[in-house]
Amino acid sequence: MNEVIRAEFLKLRTTRMFYGNALATLAFVPLFVAIAIQTAGDDGGGAALDTSEGLRSVLSAASSGSLMVLMIGIMVMAGEFRHNTATSTFLVTPDRRRVVGAKLIASTLVGVGLAMPTSVLSLAIAVPWLAAKDVTVDVLSAEVGLILLAAIAATALYALIGVGVGSLIRNQTAAVVAVLVWILVAENALVSFMPEVGRWLPGVATDALTGLGTPSYGLLPAWGAGLLLGAYGLAFAAAGIRFVVRRDVA
Amino acid sequence: MTSIEVQGLTKRFGDVVAVDNLSFEVARGSVTGFLGPNGSGKTTTLRMLLGLVAPTAGSATIAGSSYRQLADPLRHVGAVLESTNFHPGRRARDHLRVLCVAAGIAVSRVDEVLREVGLADVGARRVKGFSLGMRQRLGLAAALLGEPEVLILDEPANGLDPEGVHWLRRFLCSYADRGRTVLVSSHLLAEVAQTVDDVVIIAAGRLITQSSLADLANRATPGVWVRSPQAPALREALAARDVVAEVKGADTMVALATTTDTVGLIAAGAGVVIYEMTARRFDLEELFLELTTTAGGIR
Repeated sequence: MNEVIRAEFLKLRTTRMFYGNALATLAFVPLFVAIAIQTAGDDGGGAALDTSEGLRSVLSAASSGSLMVLMIGIMVMAGEFRHNTATSTFLVTPDRRRVVGAKLIASTLVGVGLAMPTSVLSLAIAVPWLAAKDVTVDVLSAEVGLILLAAIAATALYALIGVGVGSLIRNQTAAVVAVLVWILVAENALVSFMPEVGRWLPGVATDALTGLGTPSYGLLPAWGAGLLLGAYGLAFAAAGIRFVVRRDVA
Repeated sequence: MTSIEVQGLTKRFGDVVAVDNLSFEVARGSVTGFLGPNGSGKTTTLRMLLGLVAPTAGSATIAGSSYRQLADPLRHVGAVLESTNFHPGRRARDHLRVLCVAAGIAVSRVDEVLREVGLADVGARRVKGFSLGMRQRLGLAAALLGEPEVLILDEPANGLDPEGVHWLRRFLCSYADRGRTVLVSSHLLAEVAQTVDDVVIIAAGRLITQSSLADLANRATPGVWVRSPQAPALREALAARDVVAEVKGADTMVALATTTDTVGLIAAGAGVVIYEMTARRFDLEELFLELTTTAGGIR
């Protein structure tokens, strides 16, 4: 199994897509910090910067990698079908559960590996900026620790969802479009039509977990949202494994 | 000894029966041509043999076990399927490195196989810049990584230029000379006739015949192809000596079941001028066409 996981890492490292995504993720961090700080307080409509909600929304920039990791997860699996490399992958490792399992593990580790520098970068940008606005942040506090832990968890769980989606929708472009439509359109529409369902949707749960965005409807507590997102991740992963094992690779 | 065994293999895609109760064997150490027209089920059969497509019924085994049961499949079986199995942005060497790592094969094999297929100089290039012929060679390199005793190739000559086909032919012969088994599919018998010992011919998913190439050749009528300005006179002279001849054109004919010596002697005796004379052993391609169209039908 170790060999299959190592091979998955090598696959990621030997294409440019991976480095592009990682760089884009890091580039989003200052942008998200800036947006959160500019929209904070009474003029911007967000929570004041010296409240814990305000801090949470600024440091939620640490989870900016989740969307990119979702895309990486999709490409790691659907890309095998797009470029027909699934054939040689399954010839080397005929037990497809091991292949999908290795992709889930490798992508999750990539998620963790990306969320750590984004966390550090968020702090590095936010702390001096907030200090300039006379808001002191205790970097070593449990509050900050929990926010960043939530960011890392969300990013890692998005890897599971991504690999799952990439297994279920083997057309890579269709998978990416489906995910974007869900995040940008479908989920918002569902939330406005059925607000009571909203909190159980993955995107809203992510907001509740990381503090990204400031929705007006009721959210689950962060720990509950974390568990819910974990359940989504495992469900997508399990469905993906089942689907890939059964399908013919023609 | 049997290396590959296919038993009652069947694959249905909805209402379409792609492979229909197919059985054949490939002897260890032989080069076997797996032949059939396009769409006759060759690729589906090979993909079932390699565990990529699940059969509706029947079994396909390599050295007694199904592909999915092989512990280190790359060390037993090398497969070259279609030539598009590469990520275009990945370097050729990296593609092979990934396979080595996943298969637990020493990465030092990468440079060895690149040399073996003549791609040593372009290993550091990204695959998107590769010609079809280079992709076929890279696919072959991947198949050779584990030094397998069985090589399975699906239409490997597709897209190769004549030089590439020649190279491939020599490569397969030298590979088989080391006592290894090769199963190579093609829709052209002539393409593999110089390479294979045995043939398995299918059409419309069904087995038409399995035999050695020599036996197949014997099934085609041997004869002597003659070009002469006095074809009718020669035909009479041959008939007088009980040699049947078929007229094929104004000045050409084929004398059946005889030798060039006999035809030459009869022609000399009858004072007939001969411009050209060839022993016509068999025409495999004609026979192949006849077998696959009359027995199985074309889709």
